[in-house]
Amino acid sequence: MNGCDNAVEYVYQYIDDELTMTRRARIKWHLRRCGHCIDAYTFEVQLKQRIKDAGREEPPAELFETLRSMIEDERGSSQADC
Amino acid sequence: MEFAPQLYSAALRMTRNPADAEDVVQETYLKAYRAYASFQEGTNLKAWLYRILTNTYINKYRKAQRRPNEVELGELQDIYLYKRLGEQSGASESAEAVALDMFVDDDIIEAIESLPEAFRMPVLYADVEGFSYKEIAEILDVPIGTVMSRLHRGRKALQRKLWNLAVEHGLVEPKE
Repeated sequence: MNGCDNAVEYVYQYIDDELTMTRRARIKWHLRRCGHCIDAYTFEVQLKQRIKDAGREEPPAELFETLRSMIEDERGSSQADC
Repeated sequence: MEFAPQLYSAALRMTRNPADAEDVVQETYLKAYRAYASFQEGTNLKAWLYRILTNTYINKYRKAQRRPNEVELGELQDIYLYKRLGEQSGASESAEAVALDMFVDDDIIEAIESLPEAFRMPVLYADVEGFSYKEIAEILDVPIGTVMSRLHRGRKALQRKLWNLAVEHGLVEPKE
């Protein structure tokens, strides 16, 4: 397997920081020497960041209130049981 | 309420509906509160909450579909979107950064939500929540190898969806 195939195979484990140190070092070595692979990796990192940013959504403010009073009720009813 | 915003985001991407997402989060908190005695100090609280959230969602909305249909996504090339977009541009220095700029957040959300749920969950948990493979395996109660393969396939399918959106809206011209 050449360096590029290897880099492509492990791209996600690399960007997710899930590789052993040795394999990570080997890929890093390749990336420093291969413009195509570093571009592809940069793209994948950027896409991961875009997914992270887009995936987040602030809950409506009432949700916190609802949760708080729900837990209050729950606490009240469990004390009443005692 | 520390993790409520994160849990809400995940619930929203799973249910695709704000009211259902609130229901799932409420039920998750209630179950977590009641089960808190079984939570072991020193273990991962966030992962524990996500596990309850995942099970709540599955029990509530998708009883039958825990097993993914493995053929459903088909075979996909690695680094799919990068390659497709690369065929488009004259490959200038920052062609890829520009290419991703063509997508707005709603496109990305549409692509996430288009994934079958067995693939959507690992993608959300890894990319949005930053969980490790081991944590995702615990949350979903599947082996790590399964997490890796679903994550890999899920990401490729998401990239194909983005590509198809770009084609659909005339942002790119697919090469024959």
